[in-house]
Amino acid sequence: MTKDQQIKEFAKQLLKFSLENGELSAERVDGVLKSLEKNPPRHHVATLKAYLKLVQREVSKSTAVISHAGDLSSDAVTGVVKQLSAKYGRNLASVTREDPSLIAGLRVVVDCDVYDASIASSLNTLQASLS
Amino acid sequence: MSSVIEQIEQQIANLQTKTVASNTGKIITVGDGVAKIDGLTEVMYNEMIEFPGNTIGIALNLEEDEVGAVILGEANHLREGDEVKCTGKLLSVPVGKALLGRVVDALGRPVDGKGAIETGETYPVEKIAPGIIERKSVDQPLMTGIQAIDSMIPIGRGQRELIIGDRGTGKTTIAIDTIINQANINKVGLASGDPDFRPVYSIYVAVGQKNSNVARTLGVLEEKGALEYTIVVSAPAADSAANQYLAPYTGAAMGEWFMSNGMDALIVYDDLSKHAAAYRQMSLVLKRPSGREAYPGDVFYLHSRLLERSARVNEENGNGSLTALPIIETLAGDLSAYIPTNVISITDGQIFLETDLFNQGIRPAVSVGLSVSRVGSAAQLKATKQVAGKIKLELAQFRELAAFAQFGSDLDAKTKAQLDRGSRIVELFKQPAFNPIPIEQQVGVLWAMQNNYFDDIDVSKMVSASDSLRDFLVSRKEALLTSVREKAKIDDEIADQLKSAVDEWKASFA
Repeated sequence: MTKDQQIKEFAKQLLKFSLENGELSAERVDGVLKSLEKNPPRHHVATLKAYLKLVQREVSKSTAVISHAGDLSSDAVTGVVKQLSAKYGRNLASVTREDPSLIAGLRVVVDCDVYDASIASSLNTLQASLS
Repeated sequence: MSSVIEQIEQQIANLQTKTVASNTGKIITVGDGVAKIDGLTEVMYNEMIEFPGNTIGIALNLEEDEVGAVILGEANHLREGDEVKCTGKLLSVPVGKALLGRVVDALGRPVDGKGAIETGETYPVEKIAPGIIERKSVDQPLMTGIQAIDSMIPIGRGQRELIIGDRGTGKTTIAIDTIINQANINKVGLASGDPDFRPVYSIYVAVGQKNSNVARTLGVLEEKGALEYTIVVSAPAADSAANQYLAPYTGAAMGEWFMSNGMDALIVYDDLSKHAAAYRQMSLVLKRPSGREAYPGDVFYLHSRLLERSARVNEENGNGSLTALPIIETLAGDLSAYIPTNVISITDGQIFLETDLFNQGIRPAVSVGLSVSRVGSAAQLKATKQVAGKIKLELAQFRELAAFAQFGSDLDAKTKAQLDRGSRIVELFKQPAFNPIPIEQQVGVLWAMQNNYFDDIDVSKMVSASDSLRDFLVSRKEALLTSVREKAKIDDEIADQLKSAVDEWKASFA
């Protein structure tokens, strides 16, 4: 096994320790980090970077990032998160961001999936279909 | 104008309520025409993916953590972190008769400056070849217009015949001659108004060639009036490896359209050695494991899946055909190299061109011993079979005897006669480039050869004698040539007419 593969495998093991009932647990992540600090492995920085990447991916899987232009009520956010949680079969957290470049509407990102109901995206599609 | 406004209004109405769902990823690295992408969890193998700036890529490596994709076209504007989208579609190219007479790139976009191509239909570049049930045996000839090939190594519609040889031995010339001959036959056939006539449309795929070479080929096709029946797919040496890899599949998709619609098409892949090299380059950049000669493990599949798409389909499937003439360039005549052996085993025969013959002035430099057509003889015209049945054997015997004859001067009369006849046949098969000979003229000349009309003519005058006989037949015996073409066999009546015609010519030929 090459060095990179060993690091990847070790990071995957660390991620396993960081999950509780299939979901990322802040306490467990904290425990993993403390343990690594006490007993630093070979290639410490590279291992931490690989671990960070996996944790980021896990976080993005359980977070709906809602970008919006204009006001967005908390009811609307709850509704979106509820529907997406049902779709993915797991509880999603939500993060809202204001993004004026959307002009109006919403853009929700869950992991690799993007749900775009913004005017900016509609205009882009219209432009592409006319060119 | 009102329809355009309605169309835009419709688009706006659709857009107002629509939520677009897409699967995305982010570029991790980009370089050498290849991008590594994080994300794209739902991407499929060979799926078209969309980069910023309307750049298209194809997902080729689906790994655990990332996706490797080749970028088709300009990649300089792409940056790390740029968003990439799945399209859910396989790469498709425009197909149809509107492409005839045009030069397109590997994505089917016109590059000849003649404006947009109006065709509504597209075909995927990667398609599973017709299965056993849909196929039919090769039973119709495809005339190359080259005497040595039509008489000794006949090609049938739906066959895959490899043209192989060193650089500068006339491989492309044979392919171009065949395209020109199809155009000539199409013109005669379509003008005759025969409802059963089936024209053959040609597709010439130039892979990794110099632009000047492609321009020269185009010039020849245009000059000979063959471009109107031909599509040229060009992925020159200056194009990315991804485009060179794609071009043959693009050409095959265009050819398949003719086959699926009950028409006959001919496709020339010029050449598959460069295609394999482009694929090797792409695979190495994608960090795929390399094998023999650094080619990836699936280089056989690269060519087998391409050439299997050439087929003759049965009546239930439209009765169309796609004939392939792949070209392979060898190094120092080495037929046992990796790519040549692969393609030889895939195809239904090969035309081997020898440097020595070429340098001796024997052009086309077809090596009779090493060339073979495995299925074409079933499709050969009866008339050609009648006059050329023994020629291949006679020529092979001649080559063997000629090698022996170098060691001694005392030869018996039989050997001398065989050598004499062989050298005449060799001269008879000499033919200038881009000058295909119609099959009825070939039959006339070969009939004269079979019946010993050339025996008393000096070997050095054989080329002019055969030219003179053909000129005589064309100018004085057109009706005879027409009946040979229409009957496609030599019956007693035609044999009598040929005899009197050749006697008449012989009397006038000094």
